Amino acid sequence: MKIAIAVILGGLVLQSGQATNYKGLEIKPVSVERAQNVPLVDCPPTTNSQRGNARAGEEFAVVSLSFKVTPAFKETIVKKPVLTDSTGKVYNTSVAIIDPGSQPEYKCSFPFRVPAGTKVASVQIDTAIIELAALDKK
Amino acid sequence: MEIDRRAFIASLGGTAAVGLMDSEAKADALEHWMEDQLDEQAAAAQGGQEKFPTVAELEAQIDTRNYRRGTGNVFVNTRGNVRKLEPMPKNPTLQDFFRLRFAPANHVLQSATRALKTGMSEEIILACLLHDCAQALMKADHGWWGAQLFEPYIPEKSAFGIRYHQTLRFYADPDAGYEYPDLYYRIFGQDYTPPPHIEATYKMLRNHKWYMEPRLVTVNDLYAFDPNAKVSIEPFTDIIGRHFKQPKEGLGNDNSPSAHMWRTLANPDAPL
Repeated sequence: MKIAIAVILGGLVLQSGQATNYKGLEIKPVSVERAQNVPLVDCPPTTNSQRGNARAGEEFAVVSLSFKVTPAFKETIVKKPVLTDSTGKVYNTSVAIIDPGSQPEYKCSFPFRVPAGTKVASVQIDTAIIELAALDKK
Repeated sequence: MEIDRRAFIASLGGTAAVGLMDSEAKADALEHWMEDQLDEQAAAAQGGQEKFPTVAELEAQIDTRNYRRGTGNVFVNTRGNVRKLEPMPKNPTLQDFFRLRFAPANHVLQSATRALKTGMSEEIILACLLHDCAQALMKADHGWWGAQLFEPYIPEKSAFGIRYHQTLRFYADPDAGYEYPDLYYRIFGQDYTPPPHIEATYKMLRNHKWYMEPRLVTVNDLYAFDPNAKVSIEPFTDIIGRHFKQPKEGLGNDNSPSAHMWRTLANPDAPL
């Protein structure tokens, strides 16, 4: 039984780290971190100088994703990611994905302002759902 | 301080834009850029937690300057003398004002570029392109001044976006993708609270069917402070052509309700 649970849990962890292909973009979750003050930088990363601040009782859940542009990718407008927490509530980010085919590979961080202590479940980009629960250390 | 020459030139819109600037303007731009770099380095050294001034500290600076912070950019040079401006053409267009009075206009061009690339409506793109242009004339209440300046020539929704972005910038809206930026802690004070007329305007806007017009201007505003962004007005030529009613007599000569504002921009050296 213990072995079976370990295998199942192992499978979930593996699934959390798996790449998802969305319209020729290979997207892989890298990390989920927390911050009070975050750089406001679009994706692929720019050098925008502004930073955003969480209010009292809130924090940013910062989801980092890696992107690889495959030959199947055709230039298109890609929707912003949407975060879902463990209770099913959704949150938006201010970061936009702009010119996603402009670089072959890149990593982006998407801050989502959430109530402090929120456990994250997944992030969704249009139809692509990326599991995050195993990466969230909350 | 080490200067990244390429990044600095890019921040001004590239070598072509730099070529149009005189020595004084280049020196000003370099000083601004170095200040920004210093701010960033200071913030990084403090682990991203910059110490922001209070409202009282900012007020205490007022009588240390020989100009007021709300003064339009064409009227004051905070680092020396103003320069002689190139005359406007006989029948000036919006693009002429961009080239000769609003330049380098990097921030508004970045903002409009983001709106364009994220598929926003042409009214929003135009509002983003014009949202801070009135700061050449007047910085205080620049949303209202800007809307008044452009209102006779642009769609109502674009003017609405320009007027009220000034209000919505003070109110975070994570659902719409707008965060309260460090910049406002820095320039208004960390303990700043908007005055009652702004609070009242915000309440009105929350229930307005066009709430998203100014909100999307603020959303793009925040992401348009990239010193390395390469932008130009070229991608917006068609949108301006479709939505900006350029008067044949030229801006300032058409007797519109804001013609005097354009004339002031054209000739800010007029003594009276």
